[in-house]
Amino acid sequence: MAAPLERTASHLGSRINIDLVAIALGLALAALIRFNILPSIPF
Amino acid sequence: MSSPAILTPTESQRTPPSLVALLPGVALLFGIGIAGKLLQSALTLLHTRYPHVFIPRIEYVLLAILIGLAIGNTFGVSERFRPGVATYELWLKLGIVLVGARFLLQDVLHIGGLSLLLVAVELALSLSVMTLLGRIFKLPPKLTSLLAIGSSICGVTAIMAAQGAIEPEEEDTSTAIAAILTLGAIALVTFPAIGHLLHMSQQGYGVWAGLAVDNTAESLVTGALYGQDAGRWAILVKTARSSFIGFVVLGYAIYWSSRGLAPGVQHKGIFLWQKFPKFILGFMAISVLATAGFFTTGQITSLSNLANWAFLPAFAGVGLRTNLRDLTGQGWRPLIVGILGEVFIALVTLALVYWSYSHGVAR
Repeated sequence: MAAPLERTASHLGSRINIDLVAIALGLALAALIRFNILPSIPF
Repeated sequence: MSSPAILTPTESQRTPPSLVALLPGVALLFGIGIAGKLLQSALTLLHTRYPHVFIPRIEYVLLAILIGLAIGNTFGVSERFRPGVATYELWLKLGIVLVGARFLLQDVLHIGGLSLLLVAVELALSLSVMTLLGRIFKLPPKLTSLLAIGSSICGVTAIMAAQGAIEPEEEDTSTAIAAILTLGAIALVTFPAIGHLLHMSQQGYGVWAGLAVDNTAESLVTGALYGQDAGRWAILVKTARSSFIGFVVLGYAIYWSSRGLAPGVQHKGIFLWQKFPKFILGFMAISVLATAGFFTTGQITSLSNLANWAFLPAFAGVGLRTNLRDLTGQGWRPLIVGILGEVFIALVTLALVYWSYSHGVAR
């Protein structure tokens, strides 16, 4: 049962380089925060 | 998740999913995560208003997992939601990249150095104990290899990485994944209880969770259930452990190809780079920037909060993908091998962490 979701994740990962997307998003968000384009983010 | 059949790649799955196709599942992940956070706030509010009534104070991490578990094990995750729900790994990795802001480079080098040493011991133990147990319980050899790879490095990701390299039977891969996920679910319950029982420090517990829990997502959750700091240390150690994935998979690929049961590896350097979890480089980059003073204290807090937002859907994903029927569904032998091996590894790594901290190796 868990396998279908894992397979879907694996297929998704084989088409899109998730690591590079995560790095690009992370660095972009960090730049937006650094240059005060994004306001302070609460949690 | 609603069907026990393994999802084989259909034509529609081979084509890249559109952003619209991802939306329902992504909305479900964030919805569950936010529901967990709102529920925690509601419980805290009730606790403040009615201090004499027993109201449990449950962390949003656990609430998000429980909601995910409830949905995944009752309604299941339908085909429509699966592509979006599968993005939980992206949110997890984005969170790890962003949480790099909380680690100064000297911390990464200090604990990273310690954890590399502990990881080396853990790796040697996991691989040898799982192989031995697999032989004792007469598991298929490639299933034993998958269990050894999954338990020593990073669970499902490592098993998936090994799939193309050692070409196991489809059934072996599914069984190994189910066993590793089941063991991860058991760790979510047992590790925090043991940590509290032993009054472990946040750092010590986090290092232990990073060393002994296989999947990156479960490792983070097991740490976060003990405390936010423990979650962060678990990520750091787990990241160090994940960086070995290429070497271990390469070792198994060479072993199986030498027996004529898997394709050979032409370029080892390229193979290692392909298997290397590259999001670690993003984590390091943000950590270097934070160490260099690129961010103010307020900006580091914002980045850390953003990481927590990114982890919310990852927690929901852990709940959604954990199927309680898998606890017994994959046959008892792989599960017994997994449990025996994991208990052994958990005890040895716990002893190693205790030794490191009592001898002042760690801060």
